[in-house]
Amino acid sequence: MNHSAKHLYLKRLVTSVLRMVGKKSQTLFGVSLLSFIAASCATNAPQDTWQPKGPNAKLIDDLQQPVFAVAGVIGLIVAVAVIYSVLKYKDRGQPIPEQTHGKPALEITLTIIPALILAVVAVFTFGAIFKLAKTDDTEMIINVTGQQWWWEYDYPVQNEFGITQPIISSGQLVMPVGTKVLLRETSRDVIHSYWIPALNGKRDAVPGRIQTLRLEADKPGIFAGQCTEFCGLSHANMRMEAVALSKADFAKWVANQQAAYVAPEKDSLAQQGEAVFLNQCVRCHQVNGLMRADGTPAIAAPDENVWAGAAPNLTHLMSRNTFAGASFDLLSKQCRDEVWNASSDTIGAKYLAGVSQDCLNQKDLRSWLRNAPEMKPMYANPTQLEATGGKYRGMPYLALSEDDISKLVAYLLTLK
Amino acid sequence: MAIIEREIEVMAPMVATPTSTYGVLKRPVAATGWRAWVFTVDHKKLGLMYGVTAMFFFIVGGVEALLIRLQLAAPNGKVLNADLYNQMFTMHATTMVFLFVMPMAAGFANYFIPLQIGARDVAFPRMNALGFWMFLFGGIFINLSWFIGGAADGGWFMYAPNSGPVFSPTHGIDFWAFGLQITGIASLTGAINLIVTVLNMRAPGMTLMKMPIFTWMMTVVQFLLLFAVPVITVALFLLSFQRNFGARFFDVAAGADPLLWQHLFWIFGHPEVYILVLPSFGIVSEVLPVFSRKPLFGYPFVVFSGAAIGFVGWGVWAHHMFASGLGPVSVAVFSLTTMAIAVPTGVKIINWILTMWGGKLVFSTAMKFSIGLIVLFTVGGLSGVTHSVAPSDTQQTDTYYIVAHFHYVLFGGGVLGIFSGLYYWWPKMFGKMLNERLGNWNFWLMVIGMNLTFGPMHILGLQGQPRRMYQFTEARSGEGLFNFAFWNLVASIGSFVLTIGILLFLINVVITARNPTKSPLDPWNSRSLEWMTSNPPKEHNFDVIPTVHHLDEFFHRKYEEDPATHTMRQIATAEEIMAEQERNADAHIHMPSPSYWPIVLAFGLPVITFGMIFSHLIAVFGAVIVFFAAFGWALEPSTAPASDFETNNSAPSTALDTVGKS
Repeated sequence: MNHSAKHLYLKRLVTSVLRMVGKKSQTLFGVSLLSFIAASCATNAPQDTWQPKGPNAKLIDDLQQPVFAVAGVIGLIVAVAVIYSVLKYKDRGQPIPEQTHGKPALEITLTIIPALILAVVAVFTFGAIFKLAKTDDTEMIINVTGQQWWWEYDYPVQNEFGITQPIISSGQLVMPVGTKVLLRETSRDVIHSYWIPALNGKRDAVPGRIQTLRLEADKPGIFAGQCTEFCGLSHANMRMEAVALSKADFAKWVANQQAAYVAPEKDSLAQQGEAVFLNQCVRCHQVNGLMRADGTPAIAAPDENVWAGAAPNLTHLMSRNTFAGASFDLLSKQCRDEVWNASSDTIGAKYLAGVSQDCLNQKDLRSWLRNAPEMKPMYANPTQLEATGGKYRGMPYLALSEDDISKLVAYLLTLK
Repeated sequence: MAIIEREIEVMAPMVATPTSTYGVLKRPVAATGWRAWVFTVDHKKLGLMYGVTAMFFFIVGGVEALLIRLQLAAPNGKVLNADLYNQMFTMHATTMVFLFVMPMAAGFANYFIPLQIGARDVAFPRMNALGFWMFLFGGIFINLSWFIGGAADGGWFMYAPNSGPVFSPTHGIDFWAFGLQITGIASLTGAINLIVTVLNMRAPGMTLMKMPIFTWMMTVVQFLLLFAVPVITVALFLLSFQRNFGARFFDVAAGADPLLWQHLFWIFGHPEVYILVLPSFGIVSEVLPVFSRKPLFGYPFVVFSGAAIGFVGWGVWAHHMFASGLGPVSVAVFSLTTMAIAVPTGVKIINWILTMWGGKLVFSTAMKFSIGLIVLFTVGGLSGVTHSVAPSDTQQTDTYYIVAHFHYVLFGGGVLGIFSGLYYWWPKMFGKMLNERLGNWNFWLMVIGMNLTFGPMHILGLQGQPRRMYQFTEARSGEGLFNFAFWNLVASIGSFVLTIGILLFLINVVITARNPTKSPLDPWNSRSLEWMTSNPPKEHNFDVIPTVHHLDEFFHRKYEEDPATHTMRQIATAEEIMAEQERNADAHIHMPSPSYWPIVLAFGLPVITFGMIFSHLIAVFGAVIVFFAAFGWALEPSTAPASDFETNNSAPSTALDTVGKS
């Protein structure tokens, strides 16, 4: 085919494609095509699976990118073959073709080629599967427990990281960079799934089982995640974040988490808040070191009130950025952006600063204390708890007065 | 041939079938009016009833989908609350899988398998009717839950322990489990019936390798159903006992492992995927050769790849569980089997393209849907291959990427195939052709709508939007114009374009029904036996059972190859072939008589399950209905005595002729 003939042929091809599409649907077709060509993706999507920030996620990404590329090419070949035969073999009055029933040699070849491509993919896949399942190179262990609808983190004693007493936290997983962290996951009620896309794929948290997931971050940063196994009513509101800190910053975080309880100043609003807390919240929420008026330690008993048997430990609530299963920010919008958008050099210090009075997201925290089930759907209506024998799944409406809410907020702000 | 009961001169004394009704009811004989439908055992009428009911549930499931897309059109949607949203996506999937695609395929199978193999009905006509009524009552039963305290809210996969009584205190899941149990029995009876029909009732000369490809694919599907449905039956029994009778199969505190449910569900659930797409593969494999004027390329390869998919489909279930903690060895094995199943699937795509290659392509609406299926199913197949790479799947699973993937498979594959079949076989079923111009619009709007709806979900999933969330928030949506809000809006707009496309189909049906123009006898120049009879076929299908010499028998009766040039020349028209058949019509054709009992028996089942949920007394009442229906069924004579009919059987072919046209 010489050049001009080729040109003519292409022209005919394009015009017949357009004719086939039909005049009126042309615009629609054009628009959808254009939007696909222009289709870039969201920038800085926090849960992007194509932006690995650690070696485990990188391993997955290195494996999947060529697979996506090969799949794209094969898809294109199929589409071109279909379009070509549609244009080339359109009924233009040609005679009925010979009734051939196939060419076995061609069939076998076209069967073996995709099988070979897949065999190559399989070899690399196997390698990655076993690398991602390794547990013998672990440097640090964090126990992760899912329940409706939040995550609890429990750091067992690990002297090499300065963890000399167990640390219990929730919502945000704080970990040192460049350290091979092994999560040991389980659940207290239904199946949940732990997923920080920038650091690794998912691993389900299954009640009655302990399953492991490797995490490692290259640089300090905050990485968003979301529970990805449907876990009931508020599945959409079960989020989490992994916060990677430099080793020095992580040591500071550990030290703060182990710091002794500081009671609020005498006669302050916060002290009145402590009393409200002791009256209401301590039934489920533990604050380590908190004493009752009679001098006995206040021990929370969530197992008596909550079906899963646990509620978030609030000892160092204000060292976290988020609350209620990472559904809401503890930081106001401006302060939040400052932390989240900080460079990897400065993010550690900004995160460790915690939540100050000026930065507190008063609005959401107050609404939560006012009526939690209204902000996040939960099974907390006392008249509808027949199935659980009267126990809540989630936090109930507490009928707190606005005064009590102000006192509680003041008290919670002291839980640095 | 079990069903074609020819008149016999001497009654054999050992016949076990009772000849009187023992004071119970006579067999119904009405040939017109509602009785002709409600008590029918005719495979064609039942096929149409399956189709109409499935279409109704398609609309129900579609409305559920639109509500989901309305809720997700913008961040922090307020159309549905969390509870209702969870019910909505559970019921959308349940409805589309169990109440639309499966029964629609059952409808096609019912109608066309006997016609394609040259039989006069299925092997067990009353059981066939029972199957339809159980499906209908089961479907209604599941949807009753909407009005009695709320529908099932555990997702169609209904993972334990979230499906237990503590975590889902409404009766939705009870209705769901019992209702699916009933439709499951329907699938089982249908599977046994069609397998026996295909194996025993083919026309003389039709060896298995001369059987039309649609019948082949449907046969594979029936075997899949036969083995897959019992697995979900067991799982549903465990679930129902857990919820209604205090059993503790999935109770971790009692030592259970909740992964048991996942294994049971997906051992059923993955073959189920092939149960949903293979019927459409069969339809496409019929339509492409007809409109390419060429036989299916590599017929034996397509047959065996279908059978291979049927076998390997049993060894891939755990790829739904790559994130559940199976351990690396299991994950590696299921990765490999999943890649392996891509090969026979690819064979089909290659054969479809090569069927068109070198053909004489006629772009009817049916053909367009089939070509659309090749391209769009390929997209779904390829994204499926990316899941077989298990580490990659741990990033994608439970995100919108999966939603995109299986909608390209089930909508791009399953539903487009169904629409192709509807356009192709409409003149056969109703004697009129659907409007082709409207069909063109129907096709393009559906294809554009489906790509707008499900295409962006690839991007959303890969950028980290998880499934089954009743709201997405701006905080996790990314920045720039093309953030999650944008793509979700595109998907929502797409779903309305898609809806318009489907509405055009319904409009087309109405217009066609009102149009008096009859279809020609052989409007598409077709190739297989179902076109070798009138439109719609007479009640007894064929005046004379054809003897088969070729794959594509009908085509080879119309055309002959010129030995010198290898071109085909016409030797007979469809009308001539039809006239020839009428001249040689069988003298005595005795069709199975209608029966009251299938609908009565089927009605008893939801009464039992309703009683299981609310009051065991009601269940006893339902059991009594079932018992007496079975009793009446057993004592019913196999055919109504000739004296029951108004016209006697002196001239059966003409008498039945009028029956068929009613």
